[in-house]
Amino acid sequence: MTLSKWAAALGLAAAALAAAPASAQPYPSKRLDWTIAFGPGGGNDIMSRTLISILEKYKLYPENIVAENRPGGSGAKGWGYVFAQKGNPYHITSTSGSFITTPLQANTPWQPGSFTPVALLAADDMLLVVNKNSQAKTLQEFIAAAKAKPPSIGGIGAVNIDFIVPKLVSEKAGFTFSYVSFNKQGELITALLSGALDAAMSNPGEVLGLLQSGDMRALAFSGKSTPAALGKVPTFGELGYEIGISLPRGLVLPPDVPKEAQEWWIGTMKKVVATPEWKAYIDKQLLTEHVLYGEEFRAFLQKTQGVFGDILKKSGAIK
Amino acid sequence: MDLFANLLLGFSVAVSPLNLVYLFAGVMIGMVVGIIPGFGPSAALAILLPVTFGMNPASAVIMLAAIYYGSQYGGTITSILLNTPGESSSVASTFDGYPLAQQGRAGPALVMQAVASFVGGTLGVVLITLLAPPFALLARSFGPPEFFLLVVMGLSTLVVMIGGHWRLGLISALIGFALGTVGVDLETGNSRFTFGSAELIGGIDFIPVAIGLFGLGELYYALYSGLHVSGSGGIVQYQKERRFWPTRRDYAESNGALARGSLLGFVVGVLPGAGATVASLMSYSIEKSVSRTPQKFGKGAMAGLVGPESANNAASSGAMVPLLTLGIPGSASTAVLLAAFVLWGLTPGPLLMAQKPEFAWGLIASMYLGNMALLALNIFAIPLFVQMIKLPYRLLAPAVILVCTIGTYSVNGSIVETWLMFGAGLAGFFMKLHGFSPAALVLALVLGPLAEQSLRQSLTISRGSLAIFVDRPVSLAILCLTLALVAAGIWAHLSRRAPPQD
Amino acid sequence: MRAGFLAGVLLLAGGYTWLAFAELAWLSSAGRLGPAFFPRIIGVALMVLCAWSLGAELAGGARERPSVHWRAAAALALLSGLFVAALEPLGGLLAMAAYLAAALAYFNRRRHWQNALLAVLLPLAIYLLFRVWLGASVPRGPLGF
Repeated sequence: MTLSKWAAALGLAAAALAAAPASAQPYPSKRLDWTIAFGPGGGNDIMSRTLISILEKYKLYPENIVAENRPGGSGAKGWGYVFAQKGNPYHITSTSGSFITTPLQANTPWQPGSFTPVALLAADDMLLVVNKNSQAKTLQEFIAAAKAKPPSIGGIGAVNIDFIVPKLVSEKAGFTFSYVSFNKQGELITALLSGALDAAMSNPGEVLGLLQSGDMRALAFSGKSTPAALGKVPTFGELGYEIGISLPRGLVLPPDVPKEAQEWWIGTMKKVVATPEWKAYIDKQLLTEHVLYGEEFRAFLQKTQGVFGDILKKSGAIK
Repeated sequence: MDLFANLLLGFSVAVSPLNLVYLFAGVMIGMVVGIIPGFGPSAALAILLPVTFGMNPASAVIMLAAIYYGSQYGGTITSILLNTPGESSSVASTFDGYPLAQQGRAGPALVMQAVASFVGGTLGVVLITLLAPPFALLARSFGPPEFFLLVVMGLSTLVVMIGGHWRLGLISALIGFALGTVGVDLETGNSRFTFGSAELIGGIDFIPVAIGLFGLGELYYALYSGLHVSGSGGIVQYQKERRFWPTRRDYAESNGALARGSLLGFVVGVLPGAGATVASLMSYSIEKSVSRTPQKFGKGAMAGLVGPESANNAASSGAMVPLLTLGIPGSASTAVLLAAFVLWGLTPGPLLMAQKPEFAWGLIASMYLGNMALLALNIFAIPLFVQMIKLPYRLLAPAVILVCTIGTYSVNGSIVETWLMFGAGLAGFFMKLHGFSPAALVLALVLGPLAEQSLRQSLTISRGSLAIFVDRPVSLAILCLTLALVAAGIWAHLSRRAPPQD
Repeated sequence: MRAGFLAGVLLLAGGYTWLAFAELAWLSSAGRLGPAFFPRIIGVALMVLCAWSLGAELAGGARERPSVHWRAAAALALLSGLFVAALEPLGGLLAMAAYLAAALAYFNRRRHWQNALLAVLLPLAIYLLFRVWLGASVPRGPLGF
């Protein structure tokens, strides 16, 4: 019956749904409906619940916040739900990688740019890792070897940043590679450990233990700066291969909400990202702190989706 | 001596009163979650995750792991009683478990499944305790080529699954393969047969199909054949009911199946990506092919229940090996456990067991206790469950459909999957009526996508060369093993056919 | 009956095969097995086998009679289909109660009190189990439950 609190929260969510839309009162003056477009336990869910606990702890949002998981269709269902709440500032949702990729793969009524952007808070960036037995000790050596013999690089899914990052690097450096797509992290990592793959792209958090034990070596990181836990791994940018895009972990409101609501959330998020709880979350999950507000976030979303769309159309993954 | 010190440390953690409470809470939740069709351990773990934030990691993992392996016990109960698999890994248990219940042997079947689960689970923990490092080596030598050959080995058992009417059996399998191709093509990212729907990007989930085909299909069929008005109006006709405990013959028939199922299950469980469902389906086929009375399979053979049951429990133990020794999740449930490790501030990986021995060994020790508790809980609860099938169909059928539907919806909150379950129910009815093989369909649906993916991954890595399957020592070994099995099968077949010489 | 089922599968297999040929590529851009490779093989094999079995079935000419109880099976199938359709518009709890009341009225005739009690208590118990205890998703209707 440890779940009874949850249940109470769900009951409140029901009441929130029945509540009428905003009136002339100052924002915010009503219960907030927070959509999590994925099931419990995933990255998106954990970030949302971390944010909500921070908002509650510091009493930043004056009313109740009700979190609801609305999973389905790789995020299409939850984000579609929020998209349909046009103009209602009492709905909010968190974004993650599928926010970019799902609209490229399915006929969603929304695009990442259609929502009212609040803030990009963090980015999922990727690490290029090789087996400990690999000849390549640095990215330069890897690229030199790749020019002689095209390597196989593994990652999760074909429509994903795992494919985009090595593709951008290979185009700049002038080599070709075979991209090997996997469904699950476990299969990808064992494929690399077994020596079947020459390299793999992975979230740093998923391979930290294997890096520490020396079973794998990290060659480069795709973010702006390398998380401290990884030690001295250079970024692709430092080595001359700027990536500039990443999967967005941020917050958006439904389309066409009043300007004051957007401003209120931007101001509040500035406070949230300064809390020790937020820093602890970023550190533990090995995310890159990458903060952009409002229209800058929208521009980032559109740029990222543009790069994705161009590369994936060229490779034939999407039409 | 290290081993003893470690185990001792583990038990000192596991038997602390607080951890015992968490352990029992875990096995109870696991049983309940396992029994509910559709709603599975990975969903339950994810939902309970926030509750564990304030807990000591060792206590938390003891509870969450107990939910995981406890659900393997619970999942079989509805497989046997209602032909409705509670989890995907207990589909194979319906094949002979339900016929046993229909013959009035639900009691022995449930006791034997509890024993099989206990043997499989415990043997799995013993193997973890003694041999985790060598098995970790096995796990890390498995790339796409090895995985492909393993899946082919599993697919070769389709021959056994297809049953009497080969054309209809093959059609069933092909339908399964076809359903398996729906979704985004892993290699190219092209959408296949999704009609632009976001719900179908991820492919057709196995759980709604299995619940529909077996659970709903069976109910419709039972009504169609008039069971709700004949005799007692229930699954078991009262006069047929026999003794509760298994006979000595049941145990004798099951010994080999127990040993084979546990070993196979553990090995398959260790390999990331295969898991308990594949292990149990493979075990069923193997039992059928080695049996001296294969004609009894599907009509209530005890070995056909015990093999898959020990296999799926051993597999859930086996899945702990890559999780603890490499930080690699082998299944959806262990992926949630891995996420939990990170949230508790641990770094999963090869150093975990050395850095946090009380955590790892506390978990291992608790698994011994948890399996014992589950065996006791099952034996105690079985007489209650057996009452369930004495309910007449006119009450049971509407209620079971209720639970299956809500259970399926609750997995992903998806109405599309709920419709899929309903459609699979209608298909299951017609398949049963007309002699098709739903078992071949689910086996193809599970293994087909794995085979296609690993084959295409292998060929991408090798740039199109088939040599990749013989260049790597482990894949060469599996290839030889598969060929030997096939040869042995053909030889056995021919020698059986040969007329007696004397 | 069997012929009808086979004809249905044949029709679906035809659609599947057509899509596999019309929309997907046999080989990938790198020249390896493409997304249509296996679907085309599966689709063609399925069509051949279905047509063969259908031919054998029609040539055999054996006509089975449907069971006298087909109405009960059809009623349950219809009710469960309506139940799924009602889940989201009515919400989980109401849909469960309405479905169970209808199903029991058909199968468990003339036991009005028993039926009414079951149609209220069982949905409530399942709702509490899933929604409150497990915290899983149960469809929510316009009234919030």
